[in-house]
Amino acid sequence: MLQCGRFMRQPLRFSLQPFLRRTLHTDLGVSPVLLTRARLLAAEHAKLSNRLADSFDAKIAKRAGELAPSAAILKEWDNANESISELKALLEDPETDAELHTLATEDLETSREALPSLSDRLKKSLIPRHPFADLPCLVEIRPGAGGDEAGLFAYEMMRMYMTLCSRKGLRPTILKQDVEDGPSEDRLLEAVIEVEADGAYDILRTESGVHRVQRVPATETKGRTHTSAVSVMVLPSFPESGSASDNALNFDDPTSDYYIDPQEVRVEKMRAGGAGGQHVNKTESAIRLTHIPTNTVVSMQDERSQHANRRTAWQMLRAKIAEARQEAREQELVQLRRGAMGGVAKMGRGDKIRTYNYGQSRCTDHRSGITLHNLDDVLAGGDGLESVMESVRTWISDREVEAMVAEELAKAEEQEKKEKKEKGQNKK
Amino acid sequence: MPRIRPSTLIKASRDNPLLPLLLKECRTLESARNELRWLREHALRTSQTRTRQQPNPTTPLAEWKMHLLSMCRQRSRGYPLQYILGDQPFGDLEILCRPGVLIPRPDTESYVIQAAKLVEQMAMAEATPSERSSTDKDDPKPLRILDLCTGTGCITLLLHALLSPRFEHLRVMGIDISSKALSLARKNLDHNLQQGLLTHRASTDVQFHRADVLGLPTGGGGDDDADGIPNVEKILSEYFDQPGEMEMSEDLLAIDLEPGCDLLISNPPYISTSDFRNGTTARSVRLFEPKLALVPPPPRSQQFPTPTPTPTPTSAMGAVRPEDIFYRRILELSYKLRTKVTVLECGDIKQAERVIEMHNFMAPGQDRFQDHFDVQVWPNTEQDMAFYGFHHNDGSRSSDSSR
Repeated sequence: MLQCGRFMRQPLRFSLQPFLRRTLHTDLGVSPVLLTRARLLAAEHAKLSNRLADSFDAKIAKRAGELAPSAAILKEWDNANESISELKALLEDPETDAELHTLATEDLETSREALPSLSDRLKKSLIPRHPFADLPCLVEIRPGAGGDEAGLFAYEMMRMYMTLCSRKGLRPTILKQDVEDGPSEDRLLEAVIEVEADGAYDILRTESGVHRVQRVPATETKGRTHTSAVSVMVLPSFPESGSASDNALNFDDPTSDYYIDPQEVRVEKMRAGGAGGQHVNKTESAIRLTHIPTNTVVSMQDERSQHANRRTAWQMLRAKIAEARQEAREQELVQLRRGAMGGVAKMGRGDKIRTYNYGQSRCTDHRSGITLHNLDDVLAGGDGLESVMESVRTWISDREVEAMVAEELAKAEEQEKKEKKEKGQNKK
Repeated sequence: MPRIRPSTLIKASRDNPLLPLLLKECRTLESARNELRWLREHALRTSQTRTRQQPNPTTPLAEWKMHLLSMCRQRSRGYPLQYILGDQPFGDLEILCRPGVLIPRPDTESYVIQAAKLVEQMAMAEATPSERSSTDKDDPKPLRILDLCTGTGCITLLLHALLSPRFEHLRVMGIDISSKALSLARKNLDHNLQQGLLTHRASTDVQFHRADVLGLPTGGGGDDDADGIPNVEKILSEYFDQPGEMEMSEDLLAIDLEPGCDLLISNPPYISTSDFRNGTTARSVRLFEPKLALVPPPPRSQQFPTPTPTPTPTSAMGAVRPEDIFYRRILELSYKLRTKVTVLECGDIKQAERVIEMHNFMAPGQDRFQDHFDVQVWPNTEQDMAFYGFHHNDGSRSSDSSR
């Protein structure tokens, strides 16, 4: 990539021949493994489209829809490359007259300029879509190390996400807000925001991780700066049963990856014994669910109806377990890639991802490396926060492209080894 | 009732000076905190709507705080939260609550949902796949549901909300003796229609009628009771428009007769006079909820032991306890209506056992058709609450669904 970029900025200063050879070699930033993958996908798309022309099938249509952008971009990319090689041929041809020569040079330049963005788009279109990308989400906020101060900052973060989501029209609601014992309402123990808009998971998934705050807390008497942490988890929120036509995400289907066996969940109603029914009129409606195999606990008491609390609790339990299972699967992939990548490519939920420093009025994201010196705007859920999130999104997709390349390379290597082995055996 | 520890009280007052007031009734800090939150939200909401209607800039802040304080004081005297807030969620519905009408309980909510599932399963089992489409569309015979002692109308309305997506023809009737309860039930119907929690069909599918469930059919001229309350059987015979069949007849023993009612559900008064006084019944319930909905009235001399249309004499099965008189009467009605499923809420497991015994004794033609009855007790584990139902047309004797 970098190498190509440098060439782009100073074209035609060298003699043409060696330059051309080099650009052709690097193929303008799309590695050969990715290109083969893109070609495979495009071929599949063509095949599926043909079949769709004959008879309609919802499953095939869905898959074709997923592949369509990659195929379209690949076509554009091919066209661009083709025109470049045609222009080159024109330039190399000694019979081309001078006027045409300058025109071709200009054209070549513009085509070359368009190519990097095309390659970029091509690479991004090849990233497999996150399974939860289209879903609404739940944002869980919990204070970490730092005591009262962490609780206070967790409350501020909750407000930050609430304003961000309502500003973007994502329909946030607070499902759960547990506050610490004490006279004030602003020390969170745990909060859950439901963001109802479809695709909210994809927008907010940059926020999962540990957020660090450095400031002089309101509770501090000697003016010392404290560092505390708040952990944020973005979980997928599954649609109500029945409405889900997508079998992969239908949690009621025992074959689904996200199915939870009700037998494995212990339900506790927090109610004292004694007579019930007409004899008493208790207003306690708390409910606690425990998923026994993973020891995941969810408790809800915010609503007045036990029925509603139970439903919300199930929604959260499902979200937590689905996220955990997805994470486990990604972890497996990371293990596979580790050899090829030479390190961990993924930021887990335990990693510190962002620092909010009040003294310097700055917000730094440790993944993309972006630093904004407008902390107030970030904490108000304004454009600052959005630009930070955007930079992280770019960072994530870059990492994903890298991982994809590594994976494809590893696959190709394995294939080669196999072939060699087979050849060796054949020789014997 | 265990004493509240002083340390808890001190902690509560440090948190919020209103908490100790609520603690008197709630007993635990957690539930007191929840109630305080609900009350505060209510106070803020009402003050907001009030200021929007007539802006009063002088005391907008103090007003809701005063309101909150007075509500907490009311609550500390044991006044039910639902009467203060004016409603109680029940399933997906919002049921209005007013003094003089029993507040819906979560126990009731859970078995109503279970009963709705049972009815759906039975309908699924009856209609074979080929027939199912026709029964859904062409068959004009509606699913008929009767709710005796309906109170706020919560069971009636929730059943409609749960079953209307599955059944195109549905008729639900709620019956109560109290005119206060009936007007509230109708208000609840309108309220939930307005909120969009019930489909517009409910306005025609659901009916509420005033009738005395315990009242016996008076022969001859007077159809109405002495108090002017219509007799339940008269209403029912009009409702199910099969007047002749209301009489106990030999036909009843023929099992191939069409059932007149699909589901009879009831949460009748079931607390004995001793349980009402001896502390089993909570103070808040005793003081502020209507006794009419909790304790069955003492048997009137004309009722017992006058010969009833039932072929089983009272003496043979032992005297019916005064707290069980509703069950006896409801079972009688359920046989007359040839009900498929009867669901009754009982006070405890012993009462449920008594009701089963009563049923075994009273069931018509029990020696011939014993296998066609299926009794289930659905206990609510923690409270030993027991609910009991039976199927007429179920050949198998399915085992207890309880855990």
